[in-house]
Amino acid sequence: MTLLLAVTLVALQAPAQGVDPRLQRLDSITRPMVAALVDSARAAALPTEPLVQRALEGATKRAAGDRIVAAVRRLALDLGHARDALGITTSPPELTAAAAALRAGAPAATLTELRRIRRESLTVPLAVLTDLVSSGVPVDSAAAAVLSLAAKARDADLVEFRRAVERDVALGAPPASATAAAAAAFTTADVQVNAGARQQRPGRP
Amino acid sequence: MGIHSVGTSDVEAVRRVLGGDTDAYATLVARYRDRLARYAVHMLGNREDAEEALQDAFVRAYRSLERCDDAARFGAWLYGILVNRCRTTGARAAKRGRVFVRDEAALNGVAHASVAEQTEGEDVVRWALARLTPEYREAFLLKHVEDLEYEEMARVTGAGVSALKMRVKRAREQLQAILREAERV
Amino acid sequence: MFEPDEELIGRVVRQLRRPVTVDAGLDARVMEQIARLPARRPGGPARAAWRWLTRPRTIRLSPLGALAIATVLVAIVLWRPDRRSGPASARAFGFVVVAPRAATVSLVGDFNDWDAARTPMQRTRKDESVWTAVIPLTPGRYRYAFLVNGVSWLADPAAPAARDDEFGAPSSVVTVGGS
Repeated sequence: MTLLLAVTLVALQAPAQGVDPRLQRLDSITRPMVAALVDSARAAALPTEPLVQRALEGATKRAAGDRIVAAVRRLALDLGHARDALGITTSPPELTAAAAALRAGAPAATLTELRRIRRESLTVPLAVLTDLVSSGVPVDSAAAAVLSLAAKARDADLVEFRRAVERDVALGAPPASATAAAAAAFTTADVQVNAGARQQRPGRP
Repeated sequence: MGIHSVGTSDVEAVRRVLGGDTDAYATLVARYRDRLARYAVHMLGNREDAEEALQDAFVRAYRSLERCDDAARFGAWLYGILVNRCRTTGARAAKRGRVFVRDEAALNGVAHASVAEQTEGEDVVRWALARLTPEYREAFLLKHVEDLEYEEMARVTGAGVSALKMRVKRAREQLQAILREAERV
Repeated sequence: MFEPDEELIGRVVRQLRRPVTVDAGLDARVMEQIARLPARRPGGPARAAWRWLTRPRTIRLSPLGALAIATVLVAIVLWRPDRRSGPASARAFGFVVVAPRAATVSLVGDFNDWDAARTPMQRTRKDESVWTAVIPLTPGRYRYAFLVNGVSWLADPAAPAARDDEFGAPSSVVTVGGS
């Protein structure tokens, strides 16, 4: 109740910016609250597109207005923390992936370390970390494995690594050991995976 | 004062650059060059490093212009890139053993002025700035010389507002102590 | 002479605020460096063309028609104008779901504003229960799901689950890399 009140006050004070027309899909009570959150994010130089998409997801799923507002607010905070960990020139896709990783329980220090050791985009390693945790891998095992691979592995290798872990977990292996084993295998074998072909055919992503 | 872009002109220039009009970027460079130069020169202590950081920042900003989420805040966004560049350049210069260096001419055979004159001189201020911890120097310059609000400083540096306030306070204390010490010599 | 602290700092600040000029050649050096970078693709007309191509369509297509559209999409993918994602290029991604009793299936996600009208899926053959859709995706991480008959939510059983099930309906995640 207090959250709604606070957000309402912010909504009343928010400067009049052009409201994203897509937010018309929200009801008239929810729309200004979400618009205010989007404005605050923009003022803080955080990406706004993920916030709009989260609101639209809620609208399509016919979620209650306060759930939508809470979800958007939570994502905005996560994006801010992600930027604190990764720095202000981080790209929006990286920030989105980082926000999800933080929400999954990855420590901010892991993100900062990833940034230090990997030259390429962090989007895929962060996403892989998050997905592993979703599959039941303990967050420190997932973080350790991703960090061990991130310096040298290409995006496609990281995705393949994640698939290997999920396969093994589905076959009954304990998640932490499946992760460690797959990471070790990738490090020693220097696997070159032709994932390009997979992506061009219609198939499971 | 803060960082105020010249409203629509920045938005228009950014729009044109993103549309493929490279030359439009020269407008932005000319507009922000001196303002950013002042910060870089004081932060890094010598013109050469400052120009390197400045050039680097402008080129990086051009390359990642799509990531500037709000063209009306281009100036502040560019500022953030420069602050980062100065941190990197400063760290590199420190490793090379290059500290704040005055002109060669000034170094060679200039008689020491009296203490009173030195206290007034530019060199003393720059020397005092050089002795500040980089974090404190950064915060002091952004707040008192570049007139940023704390919220804007937080966005530009990535640090929290209370941490920044503490750094500015410590910077002032350190500066006072250093300058008083200079007066006593 | 002992000056009060405030005045001391004030003097320092006044001195530091004096304008600083840099080498006049800096502008030219910056523009020179920029000129050596790969040319930026124009955003205007290309983006308008993309919007035309991806606007919601209510026409129901035969499987052959769908295949033709998918081919066109894949072809266009190579120069899709990117919105704020830098110089990355989009790649075609295929989504597949088995839904034998469905009358309609839509692919919805972060890549199409969760709009059920934007990406209707097509059966592979008239009597098959397999539905597919191909869409271009630039690097990033996207939540998505399948909407069956406009009312039932299906996550993708073959994909990682989205952790935050905040809206009471399951979602999946697809991550598109750059390399």
